[in-house]
Amino acid sequence: MPDQPVPVSSVMLMTAVFAPVAAGIITLFLPRKRTTLRVLISLAGMALAFGLVYAQVAQIAPTSAAGRAGTAVIPWIPVLNLNLAFLADGLGGFFALLVSGIGVLIVLYARGYFGDEPDDLYRFYPTLGFFATAMLGIVLADYTLLTLLFWEMTSISSFLLIGWDRYDKHAVKLAMQAFYTTGLGGLGLLGGILLFGLETDVWRWSEFLPAAGEDSPAWWLPEYGEISWTNPMLGAFLLMFFGAATKSAQFPFHYWLPGAMAAPTPVSAYLHSATMVKAGVFLVARLSPVFWALDVWPWLVIPLGAITMTMAALIAINQHDLKRIFAYTTVSQLGLLMCALGLGALKYTDHHNNSFSVINWDITQIANHAFYKAPLFIIAGALGHVASRDITQLNGVFKKQPAMCITLILAGFALAGLPGSISFQAKELFLYAIYHSYQTIGSWWLILMAAAIVTAVCNVAIFVRLTTTVLGLPGGMTADMGCPAHDDHAHHHHVDATGFWGSMMWVPAAVLVAFQFIGGIAPGVWEYFIRPFETNINYEGFQYLPSLGYILADTFKEGPSIPLICSMIAIACGLILGFLPVFRGAIKDVCDQIYPTVYWLAVTGGRRAFMLVQTGNFRTYTVMVLGAFLIGFAGSVLRDPRIIDPVYEAMSRGGEFWPGILLGAIIIVTALALPLTDSRVVRVLILGACGFAVVGMYLVYRAPDLALTQLMFEIISVLLFVLVLRLLPRDESKSRVPRWWRGLIAAAMGIAFGWMTIVAATTPRDHTLTEGLLLGEMFARHSYKGTELTAGRGGGGDNIVNVILVDFRGFDTLGEITVLALAALGVWSLIPRRRSPKV
Amino acid sequence: MTSLILQTASKLIVPLALLFAAYMTLKGHNAPGGGFIGGLCFAVTLILLRMGVGPEVFNRMVPLHPRVLVFVGLAVAFLTGLVPLLMGYPFLTSYVTDLQLPLGASVHFASALFFDVGVLLVVVGTSVGMILRLSQEVEA
Repeated sequence: MPDQPVPVSSVMLMTAVFAPVAAGIITLFLPRKRTTLRVLISLAGMALAFGLVYAQVAQIAPTSAAGRAGTAVIPWIPVLNLNLAFLADGLGGFFALLVSGIGVLIVLYARGYFGDEPDDLYRFYPTLGFFATAMLGIVLADYTLLTLLFWEMTSISSFLLIGWDRYDKHAVKLAMQAFYTTGLGGLGLLGGILLFGLETDVWRWSEFLPAAGEDSPAWWLPEYGEISWTNPMLGAFLLMFFGAATKSAQFPFHYWLPGAMAAPTPVSAYLHSATMVKAGVFLVARLSPVFWALDVWPWLVIPLGAITMTMAALIAINQHDLKRIFAYTTVSQLGLLMCALGLGALKYTDHHNNSFSVINWDITQIANHAFYKAPLFIIAGALGHVASRDITQLNGVFKKQPAMCITLILAGFALAGLPGSISFQAKELFLYAIYHSYQTIGSWWLILMAAAIVTAVCNVAIFVRLTTTVLGLPGGMTADMGCPAHDDHAHHHHVDATGFWGSMMWVPAAVLVAFQFIGGIAPGVWEYFIRPFETNINYEGFQYLPSLGYILADTFKEGPSIPLICSMIAIACGLILGFLPVFRGAIKDVCDQIYPTVYWLAVTGGRRAFMLVQTGNFRTYTVMVLGAFLIGFAGSVLRDPRIIDPVYEAMSRGGEFWPGILLGAIIIVTALALPLTDSRVVRVLILGACGFAVVGMYLVYRAPDLALTQLMFEIISVLLFVLVLRLLPRDESKSRVPRWWRGLIAAAMGIAFGWMTIVAATTPRDHTLTEGLLLGEMFARHSYKGTELTAGRGGGGDNIVNVILVDFRGFDTLGEITVLALAALGVWSLIPRRRSPKV
Repeated sequence: MTSLILQTASKLIVPLALLFAAYMTLKGHNAPGGGFIGGLCFAVTLILLRMGVGPEVFNRMVPLHPRVLVFVGLAVAFLTGLVPLLMGYPFLTSYVTDLQLPLGASVHFASALFFDVGVLLVVVGTSVGMILRLSQEVEA
């Protein structure tokens, strides 16, 4: 039964997801000084996650039908379509291994980075574990809403880690900037997931994705017909993409990522280069097989990715702070990944007339970046410790720190995408995708290719500058170039670790970089590990990753291909640009002003609105509340003119009973007289008269309950008024609302409420349920014994009013007495006791 | 602000009025009455008592802060709702039965009575509490 979905263990993957945070929590209970044990436990958490995920993907091929099926469901909140189930398909399984694997190295690096400082590590490992769990959750969750939960958790942990130095106001501000930006995107994602789920009733990624080998990915298309602007699927996609774009720092939301460099470097290396910022790329890759069918996909994703890629590369080359340089190259690379996924929607038809997506080996593309960017950050942090993070201060640092510098140069080599690293093949694959897109998008591919070349030139130039600077060669950056980059933050003050832990400052980077060169020199090894995760191996020529030898041989045989020529042009230009004395200043990114501007607008606008609305005048508040109610009521009358009919009907029967007319007249006259008088005492008396007329009204219409209640209420309210009137200050405040206008609102309010009562009392309820019974009849019939309409349940009482209060509408009554209690609390707290010690 | 007439009269009126309030509450399910009316009646009586005997004597006679009544009332009402939930019925479901008494009499009983008692306590606590606090303010 090879096609049967194997019920794989949900528990195993769930354990993998929660292992890092569990380990982090355990370390909280250790004595502060037990640093080594702390490291080992955190390490074990990450390693356990890695091992479990590896066991899972080794057991069930991630790209097979079983791998795409998702695990068995552990019910959590089934009503909300939120349960625990996990999905370790090619994409999710690969990301999970990446997150937990790099997590192991980051745990070690953090020990070297923070040194022997127990306070930092005490806080750091639990937070790191929390993040790792959140990230593993995003990539492994099968339920869409579960992914969202973890998604928000990464935003929170990122916030905590960027604002690591709690006393640095600047860092805290940047943490807020990152949090609000990605949090806004999270809301978009929530909206998109809900819209999609409510429309299609699909709440699991495993149901969302097309089954293996299925040709029509857009299974929802026939149902929704043509994609128009009113199609809810389009809205769902745009909202989800918004979430992905903010998380993956796409233009113009990229500003938060360079800002996030205020975090300690282990965080920058882990969250802000290798894992969290790829959550957006991950999401887009998740969505891609289905939403590739949308016409808008290529026109949105490709340009956005390309703009981000080029712009960030041009900014990166003009930075001095190592971490900012690498932050902008990260943004650039994220743009490249977005662009590549955008290109995936385009089709290429080969000479055998087979049509397929233009992208290939997209997992390799993603892995490639993690394997060189995390090392770059690691070394940036290490150099910041022992020397400086400012590139102009690093001239000739190789003599003092050879190991770090060699790792830096090797990682930079991969950044430049030079032959020998897997980066080179990855860049070739991307350029091929652009080249093949000409069949669909015509000459636009030239613009894309130009953007890719510019990006590559910048990356090569950055590599050249790094190398010449640290080696002290001519062409490197020197201290007299421009102003120094900003200082390192306060979390660097401790003594540098030496020995084994000291070497952990660069060894994790070396391990990661090694993968780059293994992949570059021996693509077969890379393929062995990565191929099980790849779903997009389409093009005939890319069934195997080409080795350098193959590329050379092919070039000699058939002449260089266009992508290879472009790649070579880029490398040549980059080498020249690297040595040129241009583009060496430290420029500012205009987008850095977006968040402060929006923040300022929100605060200023909020203050304006506050001044306008919160006048502190009770009358204004009342007018606002009642006015809003009246507008709502008028709106509902306009929407449904049937509301008007019951009033005519009630008026036609109005003249039947003379005591009613008499009492009604008294009520109306007293009510109208209320606003005409100025004296408060007279007003209270008139109100009392009105109230007693209402009591009489209840009596003549045979409602003793209501009459009694109203009577008691009148007594108490007169008592209250007498007391309150003596306490109130003289009424001298001028309301901004004129008197006639207030009278008008009061009259309209009275009419609206009377109207609503008539409608409620005379409109039959839902016909299917109650056979057109009026509300009153419904209550009267079921007050004592139930009928089939109430499933046989009755109130068990003859007094309809009381049964309504305690049974039919018991919930309302509970709410009302709660409000009463709150009002009493208000009186007790607003009028504080003064003298008497006891009530 | 105590007067002799009110003081004397309150001794007679208060017990009767309290009895009336209790009667109103208990018979509420089948005849005019109920927790709201009973509570308001109760509150008016207490305020009358305070007017009659003055704050010091009143505080000695009723040593309870009204907020206790509010709290207990809310708790009783809420627990009345919770009990059916524990037994698998919807929140606030009322249980109706006829209790057999000796001598062949029977009393119709609905568990909503407890809910009504909660309502009564909240109403009493709120109205008495507000008026007491305000009169303290006036007297201060």
